[in-house]
Amino acid sequence: MSSTTTAGAAERVPPRVERHALIDRIFHWVTAATVLTLLATAFLPILGIQFGWVTPHWIAGFVLIAAILFHVIRAPLMQSLRSMWIGAADVRDLLSIARWNLRLTGTPPRKPGKYSLAQKLIHHLFAVVLLTAAVTGGLMMVRMDTPWWQRNPYWLTNSTWGIVYVLHGLAALILVTMIIAHIYFALRPEKLLFMRSMIRGWITREEYERHHDPDRWRLGE
Amino acid sequence: MEIFRVSRDVYGREVLEGMSWDLLGVFFAAGVAFVCLHALYRWLLAPKR
Repeated sequence: MSSTTTAGAAERVPPRVERHALIDRIFHWVTAATVLTLLATAFLPILGIQFGWVTPHWIAGFVLIAAILFHVIRAPLMQSLRSMWIGAADVRDLLSIARWNLRLTGTPPRKPGKYSLAQKLIHHLFAVVLLTAAVTGGLMMVRMDTPWWQRNPYWLTNSTWGIVYVLHGLAALILVTMIIAHIYFALRPEKLLFMRSMIRGWITREEYERHHDPDRWRLGE
Repeated sequence: MEIFRVSRDVYGREVLEGMSWDLLGVFFAAGVAFVCLHALYRWLLAPKR
């Protein structure tokens, strides 16, 4: 890239680069609140803190399902699926990250696009785990009396219900580990720019240039 | 430590009830262990840019 092109590109970067629109930040924090509520209502009674957990649990579950549906519709239609796609370039990044961390090379890995490979992977893992929890939780709602339907515990066989409960519980347990890791990375000093961007929506021009490749994250995507 | 919770139905057949909640501590410890190991790796071993 020539110095003229570089200088021109730098001038087009605003002092504050929008990373997350308000609606997407609201989605993230609503999802976080519902997941924490679901885990608390699920596990606190198991740990001995007894309270009427079932109603707040399924209500939070419905809110989570609504949030997931919002994201699944909005992301492909109004955002860039390409920014979350894992392709050959990400595999090359993984190899260069491994070589760099094993000190097999003195060349640091190249800068990522909007999301690093690690961020894409955690997103996809959250997607699989939360969808598993949501689908199995939705199936379990058939066993509940709600304002909209009467329960039918015989809809599936006992053995099938067992599989549903195992998948739901396994998803919940995996979420415990993932949330610990997710909060840790959000609070790491070098990652605080991402935490701030999930609250205020932006990163600085300097952070954009230091952490991202402008050819891989074109502004406006 | 069990992995699954199992009971028997009225016919005496084994039926899966769900995951064993003994595993809650295991998954929590796995998260804490990951955090500790990563933090130590970044502090002591990771190459500096």
